[in-house]
Amino acid sequence: MSRAAHSLMRVFLYALVFLILFVYLFPLIWQFSTSIKHLDEVFRGFNIFPAQPMWENYQVAWSSFKVGRYLLNTVIVACTVTLGQIICCSMAGYAFARLRFPGRDAIFYLYLATMMIPSTVTLIPSYIIVLELGLVDSISGLILPFIFGSALGTFLVRQYLMSIPGDLEDAAKIDGAGYFTIWTRVMLPMSKPALATTAVMTLVSQWNSLVWPLIVIQSDRWKVLSVGLADFRLYRNIQWNTMMAAVVTATLPMIIILFMAQRFFIQGIQFSGMNK
Amino acid sequence: MWRKRRFRQEAIAGYLFVAPNLIGFLVFQLIPIVAAVGLSFTAWDLINDPQWVGLANYRTLLKDPVFRLSLQKTFLFVIINVPLQSVLALIIAVLLNQNIRFQNLLRTLFIVPWVSMSVAVGLTWTWIFNSQFGIINQILQRLGMQRIPWLASQDWALPSVIAVNIWQYLGFHIIVFLTGLQLIPREVTEAAIVDGASAWTRFWRITIPLVSPILFYDLIVNMIGTFQIFDLPFAMTNGGPGNATRVYNLYLYQKGFQFLRMGEATAMAVILFLLIVATSVLFFRIIGRRINYDIT
Repeated sequence: MSRAAHSLMRVFLYALVFLILFVYLFPLIWQFSTSIKHLDEVFRGFNIFPAQPMWENYQVAWSSFKVGRYLLNTVIVACTVTLGQIICCSMAGYAFARLRFPGRDAIFYLYLATMMIPSTVTLIPSYIIVLELGLVDSISGLILPFIFGSALGTFLVRQYLMSIPGDLEDAAKIDGAGYFTIWTRVMLPMSKPALATTAVMTLVSQWNSLVWPLIVIQSDRWKVLSVGLADFRLYRNIQWNTMMAAVVTATLPMIIILFMAQRFFIQGIQFSGMNK
Repeated sequence: MWRKRRFRQEAIAGYLFVAPNLIGFLVFQLIPIVAAVGLSFTAWDLINDPQWVGLANYRTLLKDPVFRLSLQKTFLFVIINVPLQSVLALIIAVLLNQNIRFQNLLRTLFIVPWVSMSVAVGLTWTWIFNSQFGIINQILQRLGMQRIPWLASQDWALPSVIAVNIWQYLGFHIIVFLTGLQLIPREVTEAAIVDGASAWTRFWRITIPLVSPILFYDLIVNMIGTFQIFDLPFAMTNGGPGNATRVYNLYLYQKGFQFLRMGEATAMAVILFLLIVATSVLFFRIIGRRINYDIT
């Protein structure tokens, strides 16, 4: 291929990729654009940038539709669960990778086997357990089932720890460090990449989780953002620009975190897409 | 003696470290799985005590026309969604793999919809699909075409929801394929170029065979996920109009938590699990053995 033809191909390729990207992201651009439009402008025209940005729409969404309250609940649940997952998966991952105890591999394979079972199967029995524990319609009911870690997170930490040599651990042992010290001083810092991936995946799944909060929470006080937003379908008096302001509030935090921790999101996808 | 004590200590430490994780696993994973099978043989409304009814729930379901409809909608969802999503993702991944700059930024931009809350995505698209003022219909009108009542029509509602689902998770599959494509050794591609193979030939003779294990995995994972679709149909149409988008898990949720038929809903969950297993096995049988597993 001649040089000119080659550069022409490159230009065409870039144009194609950016066109695809623009079309792909257009719904999100439109969502944001609608969220800062005046109602008159919402119903006509294709302009992406409104003549006069109406940031007040966000204020309306937050004050009239309790978006602030729902957001707070989502933040509490997502952060608590993520923290719990990091600690529990790290502890279990360390034990499965480095400590010898009877039944270790059997337990681990049991974890792997149940990873394939769809969450729909455990939904109703889990609800009944939470009901028996008296945690229905409380924020603990949202947190408890997920805080002890997940099979995927434990798996990630275990695999990661098994792939690195035990020099540091041996040195710590010679210094007389106990298991707890080895965990906090050696294992926890060493498994950071695996834990970051676990954290990011947990954060996304908890932030966006719908079914579980939908069945566990009834009162408005403990509703999370996903359920609160879903209720908007039922409101007759909500306008599109207000609704889109609420929608942007729900999506923006995760998008910011995505850009701050790109690498770990990519890793998380690679693991869940290939090792499930 | 000393070694034995040391061994016992290690075992105790091991159990303690696993304990929180294991308790969570037992209470919210293993026990529910076992309980699900038992519950599916009972009639229970959460208020009165559960009654053993044997296979009655399964019989009721098989005779329930809405159950059959929801099964049909879900199969349609899977059959349209899974291949389209994977093929589109593969094409975009191949494009992105052509030595394009800003690779990291592009990858990240493509997964923005995936990290977005499904309910938020659903509401955004409800606005875009709005019959009167939605941007799609406004464009159609400008082009002199007829408006389409996307989510309000029996025929269009399901394809519209499927389209949104394909859109939302496309980036996820692009990342999976890009990872696979980057595993293809450069020498293989370069040797083919030296031999004069065109881009088209290279795609069919090198790329496709070498990514086939990942493509296969992706299809399986995607299929298992799509069988359980809930969020988008719930947020966009809540099963309507009529039963046009009443997918399996939506009906299961309504059976359990609106009609309080816990036994029947659990039986639905068990059936779904068996269907997923059966479809996966079938898939492995038909396609799995033709896959080339050595990437070298």
